[in-house]
Amino acid sequence: MEFNELFRETMIQVARYLGAGLAVIGVAGAGAGIGIVVGGAVQAMARNPDYTPTIQTNMILGIAFAEAVAIYALAVALIILFV
Amino acid sequence: MSAHATPQRRFGFWRWVWLGLMILGGVLAWYVGGIWKAVPPAVVLPAEPAWPGLYLAPGLPFTNTMLSVLVASLLLFALTVIPVQVYVRSGREVPSGLYQLVEMAVEFFWNTTQSAAGKWARRIFPFTMTIFLYVLIVNLFKLVPIHETIGYTKIAHGNIQGYATVVVGGVHLLDGSRPYDAAAHAAEEGAAHGEESEYWHSPEPCENCEIVPTFRGAATDLNFTASLALITMLMVQVFGVWALGPGYFTKFINLRTIISKPFFGLMDFIVGLLELISEIAKILSFSLRLFGVIFAGTLLLSIVSTLSFGGVQPTVFFVPGLLVGLELFVGIIQAYVFSTLALTFMSQATVSHHGDEHSEAH
Repeated sequence: MEFNELFRETMIQVARYLGAGLAVIGVAGAGAGIGIVVGGAVQAMARNPDYTPTIQTNMILGIAFAEAVAIYALAVALIILFV
Repeated sequence: MSAHATPQRRFGFWRWVWLGLMILGGVLAWYVGGIWKAVPPAVVLPAEPAWPGLYLAPGLPFTNTMLSVLVASLLLFALTVIPVQVYVRSGREVPSGLYQLVEMAVEFFWNTTQSAAGKWARRIFPFTMTIFLYVLIVNLFKLVPIHETIGYTKIAHGNIQGYATVVVGGVHLLDGSRPYDAAAHAAEEGAAHGEESEYWHSPEPCENCEIVPTFRGAATDLNFTASLALITMLMVQVFGVWALGPGYFTKFINLRTIISKPFFGLMDFIVGLLELISEIAKILSFSLRLFGVIFAGTLLLSIVSTLSFGGVQPTVFFVPGLLVGLELFVGIIQAYVFSTLALTFMSQATVSHHGDEHSEAH
C-alpha cells in the first residue's frame, strides 16, 4: 500500500472516531431532560399518591420522548462507525 | 406440612453448578485462551443472509433477522395460545401457570387502553396488545445465547478483524488468541483484492475468517422497526378516518377558516402542514428508538464481554450477566413504550379538535 493511500485511510478512520464521539454529546441534553421529567413525576407522586398509575404512565411516555433524541444521536454515531 | 410453611433456607444444587461453570469459563478464557477466548463479533449494520445462498428472490436474501422473527413468532404462539387453550378445555375454575401470566398482561393492557381511549378501546386494544407481545417476545428472544454466536464462516475483509479457525468434528471454531494480522499480509491482500465476501466452504482451517450469525436480534435490523412504525402510523390514520370520517384530513390540510378569517385561517393552514410533518417524524422516531436501543444494547454486550487488556479479558464472566439483566429490563420497557405510544396516537386520532377551537375562538 502506498503511503498516500495509507495516510488517507488513517485520516478517514480518525475523522470517523471523532465524529462518532461528537455525535454522542447530544446524549447529555436527553439525560438532563429525563432527570427533569422523573423529578417532576416523583414530586407529583409524593403529593398525591392516589394518581401514581396515571403519573407513571405519563412519566414513561415523557422519558421515551426525551430518550428518542439521545437515540437519534446514538444512531448517527453507530451509522458513522459501522456503515 | 401446611400451605404457609416458613420459608426454608435452601442451598440448591444447580445454582452452584452454574456458578462453577461461569468461573470455569472465565478461567479458561484467561489462562487457556485459544477457542475458549471470547471473540468480539463482527458488527455490521445491515442484516446478512441466514445461510449462504438462501434467497427468497434474486437480490432478496432470507436474512438472519427474519429467521429470528419467525422463530420468535412461533414461540409467542406457543406461549400464549396453547396455555389458554389448555386452560379453557380443562374446565378448571382457578387459573394457574402461564395462563395466569397471559391473563395478567391482557388485563393490565385492557385497563390502560380503556382509560386512554374510552369507547374506542375495543377497537384499538387488539392492535396495541399485539404490538406489545410481538416486540416483547422479539426483544427477549434476542437474549437467548444462540444469537450472534452460531453461524457460517466467511473470509473477513475491510475493517472486520478476522480470526484463525480450529476445526473440531467438521465445525469451525474461532481461535480468539490468533487474530489475523492484516498489516503483515497487506501485500498479498492487495493482489487478491478483487474477490471479496467469499464464504469458507472447505473443511480446512481458515486463516482469516469471521462468523456470520444465523440468528440475530430482529430489532437490530432497521427494516423490522421501520415496518412496525409504518403499520402503526397507517393504523393511526385508519382509526382517525373511522372515527371522524373524511373530515379527519382537515387536521392536515386545514382550509375551513381561510375564507372567513384570512389571517388566522392561514395560520391554521400552516399548523396543519406542521401536523403532517410531525406525523412523518413519528414514523422516524418510532423506528429509530427501538432500533437504536436494541442495537446499542447488543453492541454493549459484545464489547463488554470481549474487553481485552493485553490479552487478558477481565470482564468475560459475571459482568455480562449483569448487563443481560439490564437488557431484559430495557427490552420490556421498549415494548411497553412502543405500544403505549401507539395507543396514545390512536386515541388522539379518534378525538376531534374541531369542537375545542370553536370554544376557544370566542
